[in-house]
Amino acid sequence: MTTPVIQINNLQKRFGEYQALQGLNLSVHQGEILALLGPNGAGKTTTINCLLGFLQPDAGEITIAGINPQHDVVTARQQLAYIPEQVALYPRLSGLENLAYFSKMASIEKTDEAFRTLLSEVKLPSHAVDKPVATYSKGMRQKVGIAIALAKQAKALILDEPTSGLDPSASHEFSQLIQSLAKQGVAILMATHDLYRAQEDAHRVAIINQGQLVDTLVYEQLQEVQLESVYLKHIKVGV
Amino acid sequence: MFQTTLKKEWLDTKRQGQALWLGGIAVLLLLLACLTGFKSHQSYQQAVTEVSQSEQLRWLNQGEKGPHSAAHYGIYVVKPTTPLAALDAGLQAYQGNVLRLEAHIRNDSMFRSAQDNLPMSRFGSLSPAFVLQVLLPLLIILIGYPLLAREREQGTLKQLLASGASPAKLFIAKCALLFVISCLFLLPVALFLLYSQVTSAEPHTLRSGLFLLFYLVYLLLWSLLTTTLSSLLPTARRALVALLTIWAFTTLLLPKLAMNIATTIHPQGSGQAFQAKLESEVYTEARVEAIAKFKQQTLTQYGVSNVEDLPFDYAGAQLQFGEQYADKIFDRLFSARLAQLEAQSQSYQLAGMLTPFIAIQTLSMATAASDFAHQQAFENAAEQHRRMMQEVLNFNQRDHGHKAGGHYTAGEELWQQIPKFAFQYPNFIRYLPHYVISLFSLSFWLIALVLLSFFAIKKLRLEEQR
Repeated sequence: MTTPVIQINNLQKRFGEYQALQGLNLSVHQGEILALLGPNGAGKTTTINCLLGFLQPDAGEITIAGINPQHDVVTARQQLAYIPEQVALYPRLSGLENLAYFSKMASIEKTDEAFRTLLSEVKLPSHAVDKPVATYSKGMRQKVGIAIALAKQAKALILDEPTSGLDPSASHEFSQLIQSLAKQGVAILMATHDLYRAQEDAHRVAIINQGQLVDTLVYEQLQEVQLESVYLKHIKVGV
Repeated sequence: MFQTTLKKEWLDTKRQGQALWLGGIAVLLLLLACLTGFKSHQSYQQAVTEVSQSEQLRWLNQGEKGPHSAAHYGIYVVKPTTPLAALDAGLQAYQGNVLRLEAHIRNDSMFRSAQDNLPMSRFGSLSPAFVLQVLLPLLIILIGYPLLAREREQGTLKQLLASGASPAKLFIAKCALLFVISCLFLLPVALFLLYSQVTSAEPHTLRSGLFLLFYLVYLLLWSLLTTTLSSLLPTARRALVALLTIWAFTTLLLPKLAMNIATTIHPQGSGQAFQAKLESEVYTEARVEAIAKFKQQTLTQYGVSNVEDLPFDYAGAQLQFGEQYADKIFDRLFSARLAQLEAQSQSYQLAGMLTPFIAIQTLSMATAASDFAHQQAFENAAEQHRRMMQEVLNFNQRDHGHKAGGHYTAGEELWQQIPKFAFQYPNFIRYLPHYVISLFSLSFWLIALVLLSFFAIKKLRLEEQR
């Protein structure tokens, strides 16, 4: 077994009286897609914010490619790419300009041609590359987000509800891109409510509820069970 | 990172269009203000030259007359300005620039009511100093308030930071961008100063350099404040409201309040009352007694019983004694008045700890030589000239009056003994003690805002969804 790219040990976070995370343990290995499932308020976004270094955990430890974001947040962030539900881009800039800007701000220098190639790899229509992002669909924005991840050759990719609001075709296309990234060795943590996508794409599924890991299903188990039943069983128990 | 940020912001701004219009209007305003200031300075300088020349001619061509009549005939001297006064006319319009030098009286032009109303009276005029001190900070706010706050609202800030952009570098790049843009508006001023350095007979290199330096610091303060609040506040709207409130308080309200407090703590009588006090303190019974004593001492010294028996004209000697007697009273009363005004000025400068506007206003006028301290230097020099002039005329009367049987007159030969009044401002370094509080205040604001920026950067590192 390889060393996990993303390692979360006994993660705890409290907001006032509310205990958002209660000793969460997770790991994502190189080339693995881990789907993180859980109802609203289960602690998915809090976990992601801790991984990104935007929240300081009360206890526990996180490492990304061996780097603890609490100790060196910038270097830790340079190891990963983040794609939220709504990829935030500059609406007046084109897809190419956005990709170039985000990459350069992360100290990644490439030529315009290289950036165009990346956008082509994520299947952004060529006619859209130089158009303002304000005219893009959500799926196209997600593609620019993936291109940003590709440009920085991130070791880990964190996705927060990536397929929410995508039409089936765009969702499928997005899934293929994720699979391709995993094949390139990127460790992918995907927080989602999309049980179908999780069962289709993930190598492992982790279900969390009330800030705790309640179940983990490996690839073989995923082939045999009905994920929705397992998920609902755990959530009802949690409630 | 700065270049990347600059390129991105330029593209974004260009496509938005609004900021370009805003910037264009500001540049136009500044150019207009510079042009108006330059024209006004040019016409003033021309007037100074013309009046000085015509006064000198009037003095030399006054014809044959008694030296004391010439002393009353008097001359007018005009305060010179520096080219920087075209950018900041300061108190120039409120203190008067012409002094009449004559016998028996020290005229002044500084105790005018307009002087007390200075800070707000200037608000209505579109001088380059007004644009730089009041409008440029407003422009910095309008350009800079969304720099980080809007990115936070759009989600791009989180996206940027998550992609590994250094919060410190991002903050510095945004702040540097804002500062560089604001410096572009300073360019017409820099060009004007360069032009005046090349063309002026008396270049004011140190003053020009410090003038620019102080404004660079002032613009940096506003750039830091704007970027910091844009970084700390959750939305662009809140950042704008906070910044506009601070702008209104620091550039409009607090200076007015500070001046009112300073004049309340150190109240000044009216100019008329002061002049009346001068006369009432000079022309007293004590003066009559002092003159009588002087006469007696003189007669005793020369062993005579009548002034007609003295080997010189007693009237000339008594006139000089009277001048020296009055000068001591003038020195005492003017010093007391000056101390009061200086205390008022120091109190006002102290309020610079509450707003950097007061510090830049003070330092700007100081480097432009258009403030109270420089006016004082001119008036002191003029007074020394007046005393020298009275001494030459009175001694001439003393030495020659008795030879003409009471009808002594002098001519151009004597008038030429009075040199033309030529005043040059001393080196600015000599004035620095007057502005210690303002220099400290500007430095204090710079340090405070740099520390606040560090805090904002620290918060940016833990940027979370708001």
